[in-house]
Amino acid sequence: MDRLLLLLPTTTYRTEAFIDAARALGVDLVCASEKPNVFEAEAPEHLVTLDFTDPEGAAASVANFHKARPIQAVVGVDDTTAVVAAAIAERLGLEANPVAAASAARNKLEMRRRLHAAHVPAPRFRTISLEGDIDRAARDAEFPCVLKPLTLSASRGVIRADDPAQFVAAVRRIRALLARPDVSVAADAARMLLAEEFVPGREVALEGLLMEGRLHTLALFDKPDPLDGPFFEETIYVTPSRLPADVQARIETVTAQACAALDLTQGPVHAELRVDERGPWVIEVAARSIGGLCSRTLRFGTGMTLEELILRHALRWPIASLQRERRPAGVMMIPIPRAGRLRAVHGQAQAEAVPGIDEVAVTAHLTQELVPLPEGWQYLGFIFARAESADAVERALRTAHAQLSFEIE
Amino acid sequence: MSVEELRSKVQDLIDNMINPAVAGHGGYVELIDVQDNRVYLQMGGGCQGCGAADITLKSGIERLIKEEIPEIHEVLDTTDHASGANPYYTAGKA
Repeated sequence: MDRLLLLLPTTTYRTEAFIDAARALGVDLVCASEKPNVFEAEAPEHLVTLDFTDPEGAAASVANFHKARPIQAVVGVDDTTAVVAAAIAERLGLEANPVAAASAARNKLEMRRRLHAAHVPAPRFRTISLEGDIDRAARDAEFPCVLKPLTLSASRGVIRADDPAQFVAAVRRIRALLARPDVSVAADAARMLLAEEFVPGREVALEGLLMEGRLHTLALFDKPDPLDGPFFEETIYVTPSRLPADVQARIETVTAQACAALDLTQGPVHAELRVDERGPWVIEVAARSIGGLCSRTLRFGTGMTLEELILRHALRWPIASLQRERRPAGVMMIPIPRAGRLRAVHGQAQAEAVPGIDEVAVTAHLTQELVPLPEGWQYLGFIFARAESADAVERALRTAHAQLSFEIE
Repeated sequence: MSVEELRSKVQDLIDNMINPAVAGHGGYVELIDVQDNRVYLQMGGGCQGCGAADITLKSGIERLIKEEIPEIHEVLDTTDHASGANPYYTAGKA
């Protein structure tokens, strides 16, 4: 039986989907987290602890494990563990992305450098030292611009500035965020920010799978809500895209160029692009699959989940079809309207009764301290819909969301 | 083995091996039922809504129960994780 190592941070939403997929495939599953599981002593052959901040150290630990219990595939589920998975795969001699490629996809500065070196359309950028003269940096900046931490995910710490005063305020806010105890950044990511050109236009997300260096588009999502700042909270994703076919083709081409520029060759990619009258611009390419519970919108072939598809590819098992189901689908990440403690959720049954709605998953727990963007990184939950058209999916998601109310103190 | 015997053996495991382990994270597990060689559980305390609950259930609890009681084919979680008020780990987007 093939043995699969899943790298599952204790705070990821992705655990259930990947564990279910591994069980459906019948593989011998080994789960690694950054903190010990309570059953690790009873099941050391299935539960291991790895330091995800030290990819080489994690690779050395897994190499020892591998001597007694050989591993055929390793899969990370988020930005951090994608780098660790690459390091482990390299150590074990498994086919995977080069470590440098996974690291470049994890670091927005290195990503920008590689994209520009390869002439892939991407926003102009510069670095801002957190220890330098911020007022001077603000005077030298071009506006509007977007300030970003180098390695945080989920739009955390991403702030638009339209003038020097907003620039200075944004840098101070991000600096305070990076100093929070729940934020782990090191090296350049602790010392500098990225200031990049704001690209107006529609935003899309491309979910893809790289197989031997070739990008296969699994789904292209429209993001119909404008993402113009000052913060960049994602809400609705709908697939298939309603953009013209030639624009979609150009998005796929540019994403493939970006993957090549980063030297990504294997496994899932989640790319975010802006589209204006000049064409697509790569905002990010992550060497992982879509975050949160959003993958529930996707089914392939005769019902395969995205996670099954990813695991099959990692194991080098046959994949019958990469074709997404024909029915349009979508998800709404329920935004946090304000800071405070969640006391009650109302209207969930009414939201689930909206035609086209598959599921309303409230993932924030009662009494949870809610922190909105840019400091926060979570959502209240997710709404899923399927309908006859992408427009109907979007309408269903908005109607369902309007049924929900949250008591926050 | 009768259903009553299976239920009793599962309850013993929960009392003597599973709950002492998850108690370290403020959690507990309750046996809801045993039917058709399937065990139905609910997780509470720190386990309810925990980001690592699926790992604990599938790679810890289920494996332990199946090793000790081979008649059990599957362990199913009936917990309403969204209602967990004090999960040990809280999930985030990525």
